[in-house]
Formats: sequence, structure tokens, C-alpha cells
Amino acid sequence: MVRSFKDTLDRAHLGETKRLVVPSPKEEDVLLLSEASTAGLIFPCFVGNGEAIKNMVDESPLAKKGYEIVKENDPHLALGRALDILHAHEGDILMQGGIPAQMVLHALHDKSRGMLPKGGIMSFVSVFPLLKGEKLILVTDTYINNHPTVAEKQLILTNALRLARTLGIKTPKVAVLAAIEQVNPSIPSTLTAAILSKMSERRQFGDAIVEGPLDIDCALSRTAAERKGVKSIVTGEADIYLVPEVDTGHLMAEALVFFGKMNMAGVVMGTSKPVILDLPFVSREGRLAQISMACLLDGGGDSNG
Amino acid sequence: MIKTLEEFSVLAQERGPKKLAVLAPEDEEFMRAVKSSWDLGYIEPVLVGDTRKMEEVAEKVAFNIDRFHKIPQTGQQAISNLGINMLFSGELPIASKGQIPTSYIYRSIIREEAKAGSGMTVSVISFWDIPGMDHLVAFTDTGVNIKPGVKAKAEVIKNAVFVYHLMGYPRPKIAVLSGQREVGGTLDSYKDYEILIRSAAAGDFGECEIVPATSFTDIFLGEKTCMDGGADIQGDEVPHILVVPCLDTGNILCKLDFFLDVTRSSLVATSRGPVCIPARSDFSGNIVQQLAMCVVLADEMEKREQ
Repeated sequence: MVRSFKDTLDRAHLGETKRLVVPSPKEEDVLLLSEASTAGLIFPCFVGNGEAIKNMVDESPLAKKGYEIVKENDPHLALGRALDILHAHEGDILMQGGIPAQMVLHALHDKSRGMLPKGGIMSFVSVFPLLKGEKLILVTDTYINNHPTVAEKQLILTNALRLARTLGIKTPKVAVLAAIEQVNPSIPSTLTAAILSKMSERRQFGDAIVEGPLDIDCALSRTAAERKGVKSIVTGEADIYLVPEVDTGHLMAEALVFFGKMNMAGVVMGTSKPVILDLPFVSREGRLAQISMACLLDGGGDSNG
Repeated sequence: MIKTLEEFSVLAQERGPKKLAVLAPEDEEFMRAVKSSWDLGYIEPVLVGDTRKMEEVAEKVAFNIDRFHKIPQTGQQAISNLGINMLFSGELPIASKGQIPTSYIYRSIIREEAKAGSGMTVSVISFWDIPGMDHLVAFTDTGVNIKPGVKAKAEVIKNAVFVYHLMGYPRPKIAVLSGQREVGGTLDSYKDYEILIRSAAAGDFGECEIVPATSFTDIFLGEKTCMDGGADIQGDEVPHILVVPCLDTGNILCKLDFFLDVTRSSLVATSRGPVCIPARSDFSGNIVQQLAMCVVLADEMEKREQ
């Protein structure tokens, strides 16, 4: 089982080198990509202004390790060219580069050139190594879906379970979070959580244990849960925390980073090829882990969902 | 200015004991907290509930409650109504829930506020004492309003500002939090922020300031676009009051203390005094801390009334 960001790097290192496609690359990405390239994880393929890219990269270790440039002088077309490369199986992973995140997500949804399989949903998983290094925890959806419905949460959870299994968690334990641990018709998140929990009981998520609703104290502490009369193997041991909506998810991820001083790596799930987005509160170590996890996902089947 | 929860503990010893209506202290952890708070000189408990159950649990924690006033009452709502009425009628300055679901307490408070015509919206304020931070940080509303609109959030802000003024902060800074980010359009929580920042600037919430930040990234990184170079907490830059988008967010964020190196302490501010509402999962040490906070704030309210 992968327990740390270093483990993700070590495991990704065992696989094939992936072609990572970056439209309109940014100067601040070069050092990270040099590191990933040196670790044998990726071979970068930059799409954009050839001369500008060459100037950016030539002073970096990438100049020696090697890279490819696909010339596209119109920045508005760079993302489309990058997606074409992935569709043609000439690239394995898409990285945001200098394209705004909203534009990337929009393009991924495009029916003809996008990378979202029919019936699927894109979601974002924030991965955190616990400070004592005992395991990774996953929080989702922390970025993409604002107010997912029950059906969408079912898919978001399926996406997260796939990532958990890729990271070697055979029977993921899932805490479906809500404000309280009781089912209360006035609080919609508790109803959704109860439904997902029941679906899990009927094996609709395969080998996984889904418990909800759980408030965060029950999810984080078995003792707290027992004091509230909640008995579940998930309490105090959750691998995945499914949040009610994005206000909670995004703020929770940020709180763990800024108040908890935890490192985060973000993973886009649900696309036919791994996609790496660039969130401002991800550290250098987290960004390298994002590349490692994208490499692991690309080796694990033809869809990330 | 009260900067840490520890300061509340010191002040509670100086300003106590205050009479406290304890509603259904029928749980060992809670009775242990009452015992400690009595021993420390914070409170003089008035015990409301099933006398037999209270005596049984007191015996289990070796607490002689013969000397205290006991009011026999059964039924969770009846106990809650009685205790909260004692607070609003001025019989005592603080109430605290024991083994009663919080919803009963909120119902009683809402009823008493309506009777008193105070116009005060009920909301919960959860403080975080963060090591290295030069002030207490509060999340609100973490307990009552499931999906507050902008009007309810305005009331939630007023309540929190009132409490911070009591704590000696002349002009608390507030962040109206939102999950707003680069994608996904404009969230309702962000629209609320845009309205509330204008209201605060117009003076609608008294002496306070809403800062132009809706996320922890805004607060900690400011203009920086990435984490390179670190994001050390600059105490004076973190707002005092963090208004959460909804109940789910508030409850989940404030209870991250189970995970992080912070200490949490919550209360309900009512127009007649604080109500202590420990979570059913809180341990006695944490409950004692919350009682200390209520004692000090009750004292401040009494001083103001005088």
C-alpha cells in the first residue's frame, strides 16, 4: 500500500516513462518537470511557441534529459492541439500549463475533443499524507463539482475508490461527511450520505465500506463516535472523506494545508487520460506527487473513473 | 483583549463562581466537567433534570451534589425549556446543556428570544486556539442555520462581533468564507460575501471589518500564486471571525480540531447570556474550558448591563 508521497514516486518510477503534454507551459513548471524527468517519470511534450519554450527550457536540466516541442503559435489553439496529441495516443498525461483551469475543464467536457467518457463525471481528489506517515487520506470532491446530486456523488465516490485502489487500498473505508451523524430530513447531506451507505451495503461500490452520515468528529475519532453511539469500522480509520459540496470540500482541503501544515496533491478523476491541474496551495512536493499519481493512473486502465 | 482559551480559564477563576443552569447532566463526562468547574471556582451549578439519574452519575464520578439546588424535571424539551427560561428571566447568567440533543436547546432559545422581542438570531460560535496565533479565531455559524441566506449571515456576523467586543477586540476582522475558486461559476456563498462586505463598510454590523478574502488561500497566500517559499501563519493577518457558508461546512471545519493542533471551544450567544453547548463527543477537559469561556462572557455582559 502506498503510504506517502515518496511511495507514489517510488512506485511510479517502476513503470514506463509517460509522455506528459503541456500546452503553453509556464516558466515555474520547468523546474518541477525537470525533477520528474530526472526521476524517470515523464518525457515532456510542450505545445506552444517554439522559440519561447526553447528559451525557457534550455537553461534547465530538461535540455539534457530531452523534451519535445509541438509548435503552435496561437495560444488559443495550444490546448486543442494538446488534446489531439492525447487522442492520437502520442501522449499519456495532460498538464494544465498556462491555460486557465476553467478553460481546461471546459475542453475536457467537449464531446468531440474532450476526454470525459459517456456517463462519467469529472471530480477532484485531494490526497494528504498523514503527518505521522501511516497512510494517505483522500478528500473529494474539493474542486470541480459545486453541489453534486446523489447520482453525481455516486460517481464521485466511484472515482475516488478507483484512485484508492490504484494506491493499493484494497477495501477502502469511506466516511460520507455531513454536519451531524443522524439522518435528518432537514439536512440534505445526511440523506445523501445514508443512501450511499445503503448502496455500499448492497455491494454497489464493490469491495469498499461506506459509512454515513458521519460528522467529522465521528469520522476522525472512534472514541468520539462511540460516545455518540456510532459503531463502525470506518470511524477513526477512514481512507476517503466524501464531502457534501464544494464550499466544504475546498475549504477543508485548504484548512488541512494551512492550519494543519499538511501537503496536498490533487488528482483529477473521471477522464480517459490523467489530467493535472495547478492549484495554488499545492507545494512542490505535492506537485511532484501529482505527476507520480497521474503516472500510476495511466498504468491502471484506460479510464480514470 | 482575551487572546487564548487559557486566559478564559484564569479569568473564570477570578470572576466566578457564576450560577449555571445545567440541563440534564446525566452523562459521566459532563458531570465530571461540572465537578471540575465547581472545584476550580468557575460555577455554582443548578442541576435540572431527572434527579435519580443525576445522583447516579454524580456518585460514579465521586461528586457530592447534595449541597446544590436541584430542580426535578423529565422530558428533554421540558428540561431545556425550563433551564433556558431561567436564563432569560434573569435567575442566572449562564445555561449549559448536558445530555440533551442540541436541537432542543436551540428551540428553547429561539422561543425565548421571540418572547423577549430581542430580534437576535441564534447562532453558534466555535473558537479555535491556534498555537502561535496572537488571537482566537472563531468559525460561525457552526450549529444552527442549515443554509443561511445573506440576511441570516448578517445576523450571524452581528452575534460574533458582539462576542468579540465583549472579549475586548474593538474592531474584529471578518472573512466571509466561500468555496469560490477559478472554476465552477459564482457560488452563492461568494455572492453573499459581495453583499456583506458592502454592508460592513456601510457600518451595518458596528465596529468591524470584512476583509477582501473568501478562502484560506486568499488569507494565507494573498497575492502569491503558489506555495513556493512557504505559507507561514502571520497571526495578525488571519481574521478573527470566519463566517462559514453553511452548517455542513461550519461543523466539519470547526471540528477539524480532532485532527489538527488546535483547541476548540463553542458557545451560543443569546441576548441574555451565553449558553454552553458542548458536543456529545467532547471530553470533560474541553467542556470545562467551554464553561470557563461562558463564565467570563457572562461577567462581561453583566458589567455592560450595569
